[in-house]
Amino acid sequence: MKTILQTIDLKMTYQIGKVAVNALRGVNLAVNEGEFVAIMGPSGCGKSTMLHILGGMLSPSSGSVIIDGEDLSKMNDGARTELRRRKIGFVFQKFNLFPTLTAEGNIRLAENIRGNGSRKNDSERRTEILRLLKLESRLNHKPLELSGGEQQRVAIARALVGYPAIVLADEPTGNLDSENSQIVLKMLQELNSKFGQTIVMITHSAEAAEVAQRIIRMKDGQIVQ
Amino acid sequence: MSNSLVTANLQQRPIRTLISIIGVALGVVLVILMVGLSHGMLQEQGRRNSNVGAELLFTRPNNYGPGSSAVLSLPVQYATKIAELPGIEAVSPIGQYLKPSNQSFGMEMVEGIELETYQKVTPISISEGKNLVADDEVIIDQVYHHDRKANVGDIIDLFGHQFRVAGIYQPEIGARIKIKLSEMQKLLGSKERCSFVYIKCKPTQSQEQVAQTILNAFPGNKIFFTRDIQGLYEKGLPAINVFVKAVVVVAVSISMLVIMLAMYTTIIERTREIGILKSLGASKKFIITEIEKEAFLISVLGTLLGFVVAIIGRFLIIKNTSLIIEFEPLWLVYAALVGIGSSLIGALYPALRVANQDPVKALSYE
Repeated sequence: MKTILQTIDLKMTYQIGKVAVNALRGVNLAVNEGEFVAIMGPSGCGKSTMLHILGGMLSPSSGSVIIDGEDLSKMNDGARTELRRRKIGFVFQKFNLFPTLTAEGNIRLAENIRGNGSRKNDSERRTEILRLLKLESRLNHKPLELSGGEQQRVAIARALVGYPAIVLADEPTGNLDSENSQIVLKMLQELNSKFGQTIVMITHSAEAAEVAQRIIRMKDGQIVQ
Repeated sequence: MSNSLVTANLQQRPIRTLISIIGVALGVVLVILMVGLSHGMLQEQGRRNSNVGAELLFTRPNNYGPGSSAVLSLPVQYATKIAELPGIEAVSPIGQYLKPSNQSFGMEMVEGIELETYQKVTPISISEGKNLVADDEVIIDQVYHHDRKANVGDIIDLFGHQFRVAGIYQPEIGARIKIKLSEMQKLLGSKERCSFVYIKCKPTQSQEQVAQTILNAFPGNKIFFTRDIQGLYEKGLPAINVFVKAVVVVAVSISMLVIMLAMYTTIIERTREIGILKSLGASKKFIITEIEKEAFLISVLGTLLGFVVAIIGRFLIIKNTSLIIEFEPLWLVYAALVGIGSSLIGALYPALRVANQDPVKALSYE
């Protein structure tokens, strides 16, 4: 099985005033293509920092991040943005949809960015994803007209635009009630099994982590299990 | 589809969008009306000054045309001497004086004429009232009569003296108010002086030849062909050109600052959305383009609004005042460029700033 994501001795230190805070203390991680991995840990253990580094939105203090054969840690901001556009899909706890756009508008905006402005998209895959996420009838609604679960499903659909190598989900059920959490988790599971989509999910919920094929636990900036 | 992000953003804050559009429109209106007004007034002045029957105008160098002080510096004796030269049918000395307007803003020209000779070199005729006879009388043209509601028998204040309107003349020639040259000389303390001399050539004579004869006889002076006068005014004068440039700078500044402020507040408000765009992999170029698209759309709408307001403004100004506003196609293009160009420049700083924002910080913005 191909390794799609690998971190080697990944360290991240924040300088807050005169105090150096070690958010990551040498994380070594490997995720295979098509795997659904959950990273669990208490607040402040470095989960979000790691996700931001894996997504190319933060530069590590040291160590390497290799995504689909490309070393993210050696790239400048522009190259990391370009790699994020091609290979990473983000799902956030707060959904982060554009409130002024409809569900379809949000998805098409991502298509436009990922298609580098050429509006290239795969309508068949798009239709299939929307059907799986049960969003066909909600496409013309703006985020405020959708329930939390529906908003998160739109965010997932947006993350899947452009065949990302990895979907990075940051507490995707953190803002949802238990019913909607189950729906979203089930859909993530289906996307993984049906499309072979690699998913790395950060969560502090053991129940959410259960849907993943593998659970990685973090504590004090290190992988402990 | 990102265009819908642009329009959706504009629709989300309609008042701010409207104010931005009005800001751009203000700059466009400023350029169109002020340039149109300055050029229009100059061209109108030139047209009236060229609307004489005389073919030549004799004066001191730098004493005639747009921007001249139009003082009485030429001895009237020149008229008598020019009349004696071959090829001349008639001459008439004219005094011109530019004074602050009595009833509207700006300046107005008063002409001092010798009616008897003036009638020989111009097609002037009295359409209402009577000719200029007494020292305290003026004649006015139809436009002055209409705009100022000045009628025959009314009193007009000129040079601190009261003049009675003796008659209304036509067509429009030179200044709209004419008094006797001798009275103007007396009031300005310029006895036996005039500003220039109108010269009517004999029909059989070449104007160029007559002009050369006069210049040979009186070297160091200047001859204008009245057929060229309108063009002379249309070219404008340095002071007006400086004024026009100042207006353009002010207009550009207004539009640029309005857009810069609007876009700056917009991006602060949408910091989180910029973070989302970055998380989706939007490049700096993409984000800058989105901001610039918004500015472009605002500027196009502002420019169109500016054109509409300028058209309405021109109509109202012309209807209610004696001011002339000329819309020149080239300046309409310049005004559009001012509106759109300044908006794009104004949006550039906020766009660059936002494009360089840290995506993690932007996403955590509340």
